[in-house]
Amino acid sequence: MAQTIIDHETLIHALLDMGEAMMSCGAEVHRIEDTLTRIADAYGIREINVFVITSDITLTLGFDDGRSITRTRRIVKGESTDFTKLEKLNTLSRDLCVGRFDKLKLPEAIRAITSAPERPVKSAAGFFLASAAFAVFFGGTVWDGLVAGTVGLLIFMLKRKLGPLCLNTVIYNLLASLISGLVIGFTARFVPALHMDKIMIGDIMLLVPGIGITNAVRDMLLGDTISGSMRLLESIIWTGALACGFMAAIWLTGGIA
Amino acid sequence: MIIQLLTAMLGTLGFCLIFNVRERFLFPAAISGLLTWAVYLLAARFLEPVFQITLIAASFGAFLAEVMARVLKAPSTVFFIPAMIPLSPGRNLYNTLQSAVVNDEPAFALNGMMTLQYTLGIAAGMCIAWAFCYMYRKLKQQYLLKHRG
Repeated sequence: MAQTIIDHETLIHALLDMGEAMMSCGAEVHRIEDTLTRIADAYGIREINVFVITSDITLTLGFDDGRSITRTRRIVKGESTDFTKLEKLNTLSRDLCVGRFDKLKLPEAIRAITSAPERPVKSAAGFFLASAAFAVFFGGTVWDGLVAGTVGLLIFMLKRKLGPLCLNTVIYNLLASLISGLVIGFTARFVPALHMDKIMIGDIMLLVPGIGITNAVRDMLLGDTISGSMRLLESIIWTGALACGFMAAIWLTGGIA
Repeated sequence: MIIQLLTAMLGTLGFCLIFNVRERFLFPAAISGLLTWAVYLLAARFLEPVFQITLIAASFGAFLAEVMARVLKAPSTVFFIPAMIPLSPGRNLYNTLQSAVVNDEPAFALNGMMTLQYTLGIAAGMCIAWAFCYMYRKLKQQYLLKHRG
């Protein structure tokens, strides 16, 4: 047993890192609580109390000698859903629980997963495809789809370049929707065959937190009421900013075509 | 309708790329979006209220995601979020806030109600599917415990 002992402080920090990593790649609150409990169980911790909301993780471990430690972690990083990372973290916790993984190496393993490089080309292709497909889905022509896809690429650029400069997501959504709305508005003015509303809806799908609001309501129905209401309000405010940005763009470019 | 199904699949695929779904799961995830939308269209033929249609489609999508996750050995979220993408109430939510921005109160109330029904339908559908999956796992565990002695 001697080689499997990891010191308590290292373990609790590794667990918080794990929770934070899962949160930032889009895991549900329930899944995070479950995973952290299972891992701590695998380390033979006697008592585990974990409380996760979207902006904070609180973790208390109680040890055999009667002592217990509590640490909290404030989560400020914005969410950028990454299912490859989520899947790897999940596999890691599974391996750990069945003893297929060296328990001393947990901190390194988490770091190796979270520091994986981004895949900008894949993501850009996704922005193009998603906005183009949804413009056609909601009744646009193929040409509408192509324009929406191109603006989707613009939104991808904005996310990378403009995102970090913005105070928060509200400001980013306002600016991103204003800029992409202006581009769509002017293009539709010069090419009357295009349908401005269909192109816009394709690109709105990229920015609007549709999945977020669904997950929020689901969280509330499942009992994670605090996380759910936080996400719900967030989604509504973000969408309000989007609507302001797009409406301003429509006014500036002279009405809906 | 064919166009809708095809674009639902491509749109789902696009979001899978954005969400960095692993290459070997891309196709199954896109198919789950397509099938969920197919169920939605099918349900919309027989039923009128939005709530019931989305409830059926979402519970189908959630079941499908659970099955795919079991078969392909991946966390269910990887299939479950893509399955919900064509259903996601992005457009309704946007319309609601847009009518608020232009001060159109009747449209705001109408769109808001639509969004609420839609979202509740999806969320309730997922919960139903999960409740049954949980029950199934528990029953299986009990069965195994009993028969092992």
